[in-house]
Amino acid sequence: MRHLKLIWLLAAKDLRIEYRSRQAFLTTLFFAVLILIVFNFAFDPGSASTRDASPGILWVALLFPGMIQLNRSFQSEMEEGTLQGIVMSPLDRGVFFLGKLVANWVFLLAIDILILGVFVIFFNFSLEPGLLWVFLLMFLVGGGFTAVGTVFAAMVSNVRIREVLLPILIFPIIVPIILAAVNATREVLIHNDFSALSRWLQLLVAFDVIFLAAGFLVFDYVVGE
Amino acid sequence: MWLLVPLYVLGVVALWAAFIHAPTERQMGEVQRIFYFHVGAAWTAFFAFFIVFVAGILYLWRRSPFWDEFGAASAEIGVVFTTIVLTTGPIWARPIWNTWWPWGDPRVTTTLVLWLIYVAYFILRSSLPEGEKRARFSAVFGIIGFIDVPIVFLSIRWWRTIHPIVITRTGNRLEPEMFQAMIIAVVAFTFLYFALLFLRTGMRLQHTVAEEMAHTLRERSE
Repeated sequence: MRHLKLIWLLAAKDLRIEYRSRQAFLTTLFFAVLILIVFNFAFDPGSASTRDASPGILWVALLFPGMIQLNRSFQSEMEEGTLQGIVMSPLDRGVFFLGKLVANWVFLLAIDILILGVFVIFFNFSLEPGLLWVFLLMFLVGGGFTAVGTVFAAMVSNVRIREVLLPILIFPIIVPIILAAVNATREVLIHNDFSALSRWLQLLVAFDVIFLAAGFLVFDYVVGE
Repeated sequence: MWLLVPLYVLGVVALWAAFIHAPTERQMGEVQRIFYFHVGAAWTAFFAFFIVFVAGILYLWRRSPFWDEFGAASAEIGVVFTTIVLTTGPIWARPIWNTWWPWGDPRVTTTLVLWLIYVAYFILRSSLPEGEKRARFSAVFGIIGFIDVPIVFLSIRWWRTIHPIVITRTGNRLEPEMFQAMIIAVVAFTFLYFALLFLRTGMRLQHTVAEEMAHTLRERSE
């Protein structure tokens, strides 16, 4: 129980810092909207094939800003040197990992919901029942993405090329959840086909569980000696 | 190096088996012979990544630099073999399936992702200064990467059932000589992998020792 409280304290700290300035939130949101707009210019807005491609566009608009935010999440630790303090404290490194993870996950979900709204407007979707399933997908994708991403963001926090290195490290690993997210979104929103949805959801849950556990176990070696 | 003798022998036998002993495939023609090298390289590439995974765990457990160099050497060989697989594949695929790259095929795309993870492993290593941290992070990335590979394979397989691939696979009926050639090629590649692995690990360890000596000499002369 104490661990849960600690995780919540750590996450709340990060979220509170962010809430006070809202700088990262707004710029990340803006970046995501920009991506949606650029893709609307890149593709022919009216055609059916663009509509078919739109789930992919949505998830690109969510994942790339997500990377930026992951890098940022360790910035304060890096700048203030608090990482050493955490290592020296009796805090369980796994708890620290989960705290960072929860903060990143919540942040990402907040962005996701707003971007979904913009997406619906830009790509002319109506408010349909499938959207609730998309929320669930965002929740699950957020979990796996932040699990893998928090580990790697901690690893690259002191590297000069971390802005480009983090996507290079993360993207190959999260291919399964990209596939699951885009295909499930497409089936649900465009084809109104819910038959294969459970399979994609299972994949996402399995991915989340495996990499949450792996991240938790491995974070000790990333942060400590 | 005792491995080299059987390796040379096997190499010659494998070449003979692939080009002379095995018959020409009826439908595909001579280009099918690439298959023997393709399969040998593919199996070894995945095995090499498994060794990176094991070496990573052993490094984190034992903290011996040997395991770090061992894992990095295996990854080097792995990325080379994976490149071989990814180049021989399309060369074979284009005349047969009329496409350079079948995205829906789980093995093909998983190998591509495997290649990406290998390359990312080296980009990570190159961005960190030599030392304990680099070894630790490489081990962690190797472990996470390997856990991911089966999940990637499954996810692409599920993707494929929704987007059926345009190419249908021809039956995998191998003539006995072809099967023999394939087995010999696989064994030959495995020997090649181990020979390269031990050679490369030795080279990397000696490189580290040489660097330390040069460093000490430089310090002493000041």
